[in-house]
Amino acid sequence: MPTWRELKNNSQLWDVFYLRQQIISAIREFFDRKNILEVFTPILQPAVIPESYHEVFSTTLIDRKLKKNTRYLIPSPEVSIKKLLAAGLTNCFEITRCFRNRESGSNFHNPEFTSLEWYRTAATYFDIMKDCEELILFINEKINKNNKTLIYQNYTVDLTLPWEKISVAQAFKTYSNISLAEITDVKNKNNPFPTKKIAEIARKKGYRIFKNNTWEEFFNQIYLNEIEPHLGVNGKPTIIYDYPAPLAALGKLKKNDSRIVERFEIYLGRIELADACTELTNYSEQKRRFKASENEIVNSTKNQIVVDFDFLEALKSGLPDCAGIAMGIDRLIMLFADKKSISDTLLTFE
Amino acid sequence: MTQISTSQFQKGMFIDYRGEIHQIIEFQHVNPGKGSAFVRTKLKNVKTGNTVEFTYKSGEDVLELPVFIREMQYLYKADKQYFFMDRNSFEQFSISDSLVGSFGNYLKEGILYQIYQHEDKILGLKYPKIVKLKVTEAEEGIRGNTVSGAKKTVILETAIKIQVPLFIKKGDILAINPDTGEYLERVND
Repeated sequence: MPTWRELKNNSQLWDVFYLRQQIISAIREFFDRKNILEVFTPILQPAVIPESYHEVFSTTLIDRKLKKNTRYLIPSPEVSIKKLLAAGLTNCFEITRCFRNRESGSNFHNPEFTSLEWYRTAATYFDIMKDCEELILFINEKINKNNKTLIYQNYTVDLTLPWEKISVAQAFKTYSNISLAEITDVKNKNNPFPTKKIAEIARKKGYRIFKNNTWEEFFNQIYLNEIEPHLGVNGKPTIIYDYPAPLAALGKLKKNDSRIVERFEIYLGRIELADACTELTNYSEQKRRFKASENEIVNSTKNQIVVDFDFLEALKSGLPDCAGIAMGIDRLIMLFADKKSISDTLLTFE
Repeated sequence: MTQISTSQFQKGMFIDYRGEIHQIIEFQHVNPGKGSAFVRTKLKNVKTGNTVEFTYKSGEDVLELPVFIREMQYLYKADKQYFFMDRNSFEQFSISDSLVGSFGNYLKEGILYQIYQHEDKILGLKYPKIVKLKVTEAEEGIRGNTVSGAKKTVILETAIKIQVPLFIKKGDILAINPDTGEYLERVND
């Protein structure tokens, strides 16, 4: 049913749209107080970065001379923002629409969604974690005053600090009894993530093995089945950090363990709210990952894309040490309005 | 039995999950922050009524169990069992309330429902998306009360209470989503 019809039938449904405004105002006030610049980067872009797991929307730009050019709707403003950081901007944030094709039919995804991203230079993911805690508490204060307990879909989440923090390796050991050593190969410098090794563990656990399954697929299937149900449901928000390298195309590897990227996610009541990284600033490493990702896209059924080499140029020119995050605003609204599905927070006219 | 892919999943479908018949209660496409697509399902074991969550790799093949649908009349509930009758053969079958779940609140005696059967085994009810039920008890709405989203509670003919807008009166027939228990619209005709 188109949203206007639902709103006409049930005027209570307007509430969630007022809440959206409250949350977005709170976010702007939060960054304003910190003197952080809001940027507005283009949604239509001539090229995108190769991320094999995103299916981007593409369209055609026709100029005055009737010349046709491919344009993409951004899956995230990350690349544009990093170009601004390379240009000398320090801290900034953006609230923008993002688009990811094939992401319909889900409580947590919509092909068109609103994302908040912010970046800090001379910072690591620890600084972003701190921002996250402050921001969520700030938004909560605006909406719920002194009440720091959220109820989301029968989960009670106490927002007072400290929040639960667990590394991916600890979580796998605790909830799945798998050690990182069992699914990786430290000695193999070329491929520390042998598919064979993790497939064997997955098979023992009763998962099915198909030809062409990748290391990442087995990892994520175990993660989604055995780890994720425990995140953000133990009475506090959960920050889960330090992911295996195949799970972050633009993240920086840890100094003491090149299998791990400095990346974290935040869960509240089973909602994955945000995804953050200490960003990869090394040009040649990024170029190598681009190549690998491009090959995966060629091997999959995904559409061919025009690769954003300008981003590599920006990196080459010098991207300062930085960290950044993407937080789903629609998911924030789901959380504060206690809505089961992202569609309950959006206007649809289909 | 047919091999199907996760992209063919449908709510209500019966599949083999680790050797036992399960019905797909819910399914969701999920994309982890960084990674491939997956399909998260909530599966109900038709023997025990227990539900499990399982996340499939997108595109994984799964065994679908062939079922056919029989139309049966709902008779009554006794001892945690809902009794139905095939009006052609007069055979009676029962389905346990753990399988019917909250849909039991919307079952009306004498009405025909669709029942799934696999070989000679009754598996469960096919849940309609909308049920139409009459209001048997309702307070008068206060005229002029236009408070945004004001609601009141009414009782339907199956004895379930639901929240409706103030203009609903006793005797109205309402369309309800039995999945969520939400009022959809007034359908007096």
